[in-house]
Amino acid sequence: MHRREFFRRAALGGAGLVTARVLDAQGTAKPQAPATGNTSNLFDMNQDAAKTVRRPARAGAAESMDDEDRDALVREIRCQCGCTLDVYICRTTDFSCQVSPAMHRDIISLVEGGYSAQEILDSFVTTYGERALMAPKREGFNLTGYLMPFAVLGVGAVALTTVLRRMSNRAAPAVIGARVVRSAEGDATDDEMARLNAAIRKDE
Amino acid sequence: MILIGELSLWVALLMAAWAAITSFAGGSLGREDLITSGRRGLYVTTLMVILASVGLWTALLSHDFSLSYVAGHTSANMPRVYVFTAFWGGQAGSMLFWALILSCYSSIAIWSVREKARELAPFACGTLALILLFFIATTCFKANPFDRLAFVPADGKGMNPQLQNPGMAIHPPNLYLGYVATAIPFAFAIAALITRKLDASWLLVVRRWSLISWFFLTVGITLGMWWAYVELGWSGYWAWDPVENASFLPWLTGTAFLHSIMIQEKRGMLRKWNVVLVVTTFLLAIFGTFITRSGIIESVHSFAQSPVGTWFATFFFAATGATIYFVATRLKDLEATAVLESMVSREAAFLYNNLVLVGIAFSVLWGTLFPILSEWVRGSKITVGPPFFNTVNIPLGLLLLALTGIGPLIAWRKASTSNLKRQFIFPTASGVVVGVVLFALGMRNYHALIAYTLAGFVSGTIGQEFYKGIGARRSIHGEGLFVAVVRLIARNRRRYGGYIVHAGIVILFSAFAGLAFKKDHDVQIKAGETKVLVDPLGHTWRFVSQGVSTSETLNRFVTAIGLEVFRDDVRQGILTSEKRQYFDSNKQPQFEPSTEVGIRTSAMLDLYVVLAGVRDDTAELRISFNPLVVWVWIGGMIMAIGGLIVMWPQAERRRAPSGYVATLAPAHELVTAE
Repeated sequence: MHRREFFRRAALGGAGLVTARVLDAQGTAKPQAPATGNTSNLFDMNQDAAKTVRRPARAGAAESMDDEDRDALVREIRCQCGCTLDVYICRTTDFSCQVSPAMHRDIISLVEGGYSAQEILDSFVTTYGERALMAPKREGFNLTGYLMPFAVLGVGAVALTTVLRRMSNRAAPAVIGARVVRSAEGDATDDEMARLNAAIRKDE
Repeated sequence: MILIGELSLWVALLMAAWAAITSFAGGSLGREDLITSGRRGLYVTTLMVILASVGLWTALLSHDFSLSYVAGHTSANMPRVYVFTAFWGGQAGSMLFWALILSCYSSIAIWSVREKARELAPFACGTLALILLFFIATTCFKANPFDRLAFVPADGKGMNPQLQNPGMAIHPPNLYLGYVATAIPFAFAIAALITRKLDASWLLVVRRWSLISWFFLTVGITLGMWWAYVELGWSGYWAWDPVENASFLPWLTGTAFLHSIMIQEKRGMLRKWNVVLVVTTFLLAIFGTFITRSGIIESVHSFAQSPVGTWFATFFFAATGATIYFVATRLKDLEATAVLESMVSREAAFLYNNLVLVGIAFSVLWGTLFPILSEWVRGSKITVGPPFFNTVNIPLGLLLLALTGIGPLIAWRKASTSNLKRQFIFPTASGVVVGVVLFALGMRNYHALIAYTLAGFVSGTIGQEFYKGIGARRSIHGEGLFVAVVRLIARNRRRYGGYIVHAGIVILFSAFAGLAFKKDHDVQIKAGETKVLVDPLGHTWRFVSQGVSTSETLNRFVTAIGLEVFRDDVRQGILTSEKRQYFDSNKQPQFEPSTEVGIRTSAMLDLYVVLAGVRDDTAELRISFNPLVVWVWIGGMIMAIGGLIVMWPQAERRRAPSGYVATLAPAHELVTAE
């Protein structure tokens, strides 16, 4: 093995080990969910995660939305027990969770207090942080999250189209056989191309 | 037997190391004796891993609770079938299971090419032995299923109740079979890069194993969706959880590869791209496992977390680094031997299809990792859940569906305008008719409307291809319809098997679009009470509670509600939904209560009843109407059948891929006349 190659390989191995150490350190420092003795079969459930999200009812307030809209709103808010589900699904699936019913009660209270969907979402974000939402708000840095896949695909499409155009503009060389002479760009007539393609197909 | 198994695992570790060293040394030095020794070392490693696996199965089935793994994942009163499947039900067992599949796959792959690919085989064998060494070492040092407890408990803890389900018994093995199969193409790609033998010869092996991987991933993912739907009670089958995403990523890049490999076979193009896709698919499988096991990303599957994540990260970065090095130093050898003749060609369409598939893979990976990125950049935690993934991936999925229909309509090399008109007119008309009819019927969900229009278009493409093929056979050979269909598929398995896969995709997308019309109802009901609900199709459903009952069976207490169900006043029968509390042999409760969903399936929609719990004689239920769900399973099955047809060996003509490519002049022999 050449010396340069040896060092290159050693560097690659080293990078892996450093990463592993960093991850080890992260793993050690990772806070564990409190042991409540009342957990889920699939994940570490934090039964103490519910916080109060109440605001005084507006004067003369009526319910700000119907049941269907309220349920849609409940689906935008994430249960904080650790399940990764929205409050609606968690509450109606698993009775052992005490967090989603509490969050659901807060939502109902805010709806009855006359608060709009956006105001309710903002209240939950104020109390729990942005992770109270099932998807990040479409603003600031989060826009990178929403737009990046399309940007990458767009750049990929432009690059691919450019490459394909360039390739297709070159004259197709007659590549069957041993040594082949590629003709200058674009000097084959349609008739020549048709005969060439027919010959290739025949060979296939 | 248990002790033999335990010892075999350590012998396997040494043998894998031996196989790796001798294979690489033999290949580099051209020494046949070392190559043979390396190959035999791999076979012995396989034998040892099989013995270790038999040892673990023996321990499980004989309830040897002195083993931490057996005590932690089984109990004496568990059904025998789940005691057997506990082998892969926990971390340590699943690592050994992975090694078992990999060793068997590796031996079969190396044995099958020992004469055909003499130059590649030693390096492929060495690479596979290295991967195997990693898995066996991880099993021995970080997740050993033969670790013993300081004392022997009277009974084990039992298996997580959510894993005691037929879907979970067969879904993980299928996923593992799919994940692990990606190692074989990876090993041959690395071997081809090392030896610089990058002609079409390695493609044959790679394609076969890529198809095997794709098939098992398809089956595994479909079964995983089914398990989540019937077992977890979330009323859905896909939640964009990191673990689900991890299985989807290699499927996407594997699918892209199975398309682009056709271009290399037929035209000698895309050699760099294909190598990149093959290695990326394997690396994504490893990365997915790292995500699943490390816990760096919040997942509902956190029960699978363990210290092996660090080992996987190290392996992932080492493999990625080595791959980048080999690809970067062999770029000249990967030059295409042909050029694209026209932008309007099947090659170009396949490339755009590849772009979208890889774009979706990127978007899934991006969404999965974005919470970490956001925390780094902004310091605040966010949730990237289904609304995010749906926003980003629905447009990309629809684009992919469109390309599924467009690709097969365009001729290879260059399509003429008249050819395009002829090919597109019927499929386009089919799509437009479907769209107009659904709009006229009142469908106003535009994502669903576009999805069904495109589904009509792609169905038109598939139908047209079959119609033409069958028509040609009937006129040329005078065959009856049935015979013509069978022979058309049998004689052109790759092409028509592929169309069957596309048909499965169309069905899947149609079923996914059905979820736009899903309805959930939060219901409280007492014994004898009646509730009336209306489904998305306008049918009226009446539910009469038969009350809540409790019972005890093999290893669980069951609380169940029975509902007498009427649709438009026609009795449909009794539907039950349960909460189960599992216990061990001493009747001590184990785990939290789990849900058994009541499901009534029909072609148009599923009635889905979840008993959330019982409070003061009132049962709290979620009743959901989930349209077209059964078509997800049917679509998945059709895709798997199509995959099987494509995979099935052509008995009558086994030859190198497309003779045209084999006779191409190497790129460096091409000279340009200026």
